[in-house]
Amino acid sequence: MSSKRFLRPPGARPEREFLARCLQCGQCAQVCPFYCIYMHTGFNPFISGTPQIDPRKAPCHLCMHCSEICPSNALENVPKEKVRMGRAELDRTKCHTWQGFIICRSCFERCPLKGRAIVLEKGIYPAITEKCAGCGVCEHVCPKKAIVTIPTRFVT
Amino acid sequence: MKKPSIKTCRRFLQVFIALAFVIIPYLNSYRINLFRGNFLCFHAAGLPLADPLAVLQVSVKNWYLSPKLLIGAGIVLSIAFALGTVFCSWICPYGLLSELVHGLSKKLLPKKFKGFVTKRKGFPIKIIIFGLGFLGFLLFSTTPVLNQLSMPAWYSRIFQFIFVQHHISLAILFVFSVLLVEFFARNRIWCRYVCPQAVLLVLAKLLNSRRLRVVYDKNKCIIKKGKSPCERACTLSLDPKTLNPSLETECTNCGDCIVACKKMGQALEYRFGLSTE
Repeated sequence: MSSKRFLRPPGARPEREFLARCLQCGQCAQVCPFYCIYMHTGFNPFISGTPQIDPRKAPCHLCMHCSEICPSNALENVPKEKVRMGRAELDRTKCHTWQGFIICRSCFERCPLKGRAIVLEKGIYPAITEKCAGCGVCEHVCPKKAIVTIPTRFVT
Repeated sequence: MKKPSIKTCRRFLQVFIALAFVIIPYLNSYRINLFRGNFLCFHAAGLPLADPLAVLQVSVKNWYLSPKLLIGAGIVLSIAFALGTVFCSWICPYGLLSELVHGLSKKLLPKKFKGFVTKRKGFPIKIIIFGLGFLGFLLFSTTPVLNQLSMPAWYSRIFQFIFVQHHISLAILFVFSVLLVEFFARNRIWCRYVCPQAVLLVLAKLLNSRRLRVVYDKNKCIIKKGKSPCERACTLSLDPKTLNPSLETECTNCGDCIVACKKMGQALEYRFGLSTE
């Protein structure tokens, strides 16, 4: 996954405002119980040290611990239904179910907003709705890597 | 029992802090979070602490003051207000490394070599660098980009990287190369001329004329001419015998000169308030 496509932790403000507020203290990475947040390690001084999530390695489970403790409110403490970290996009040409091989409900079963962010069309086919928080759990569990989570700032 | 000298106490605290910021990220990797954060913003069992410059940058760019950050920066600034820039000499882990490297260069480099810029005043240069850096930040950056010049933050961040996300950061080379330059220059260049984080601490201490400082009693001094032990002891190459505002701006109240003078005439001591005439 290219480093430019990382997600911000849940509750993050719009990218510009987030960057202006983030103190790069790393406390969010240190409290995350799922070890999914890590600090940006590159040499770009404008984003080095800011938190990011790579759902392929470890997705966010929307526990919201990080936004509770953020000292500068760069991560706002919002209810998890209102979180918009990004948007999951399902490639139907890769999906087991849509291709008609087997009925795979991995993404549907593991979605923290099960039944709202991912619904089953006709009771079988998974589809991602507008309520997707972009946590990346579905991307992480998809056996075919058919799902990609696009960070909010790249969603058009 | 003999009372430990100022220098022993100081070294103990410095080493303790330096080790604490290795152990804390290690504990954090097991999600023991009573203490967390780094030198930019620290959470000490409920008590917030923050780097004043980082808070200033965030506040300026957002026109917003977070109560947690205000308390954090306020505590740090009020310590500087009362006790001077003791952060630099008693707490900062980079200060510890820099002092050790300075001591090494004194021992290992040939005696004749005096170093590059010893007598220059540091603070004006620092103010210029700080001003340019802050202007650049205001014009070109939304991120609090001056944080990247904070050596203690890099020190703690390197260990955060190692323990929390198993990444060995190349920032080690950055810190190491600055130390190497300081070694060959025999001068604590970063602390004296660059470190922008200290500027706000210095300004806070200058507001208070009754702060803690090192005072010099001319009548007790037994050194009449030549380089005195106190001057030799100062790692920032200041001369405690010539009391003037520019020297007091740079002095970090480390107390090395007081220790050096203890055996001579005890002409130097810590005192609150105005210096004696």
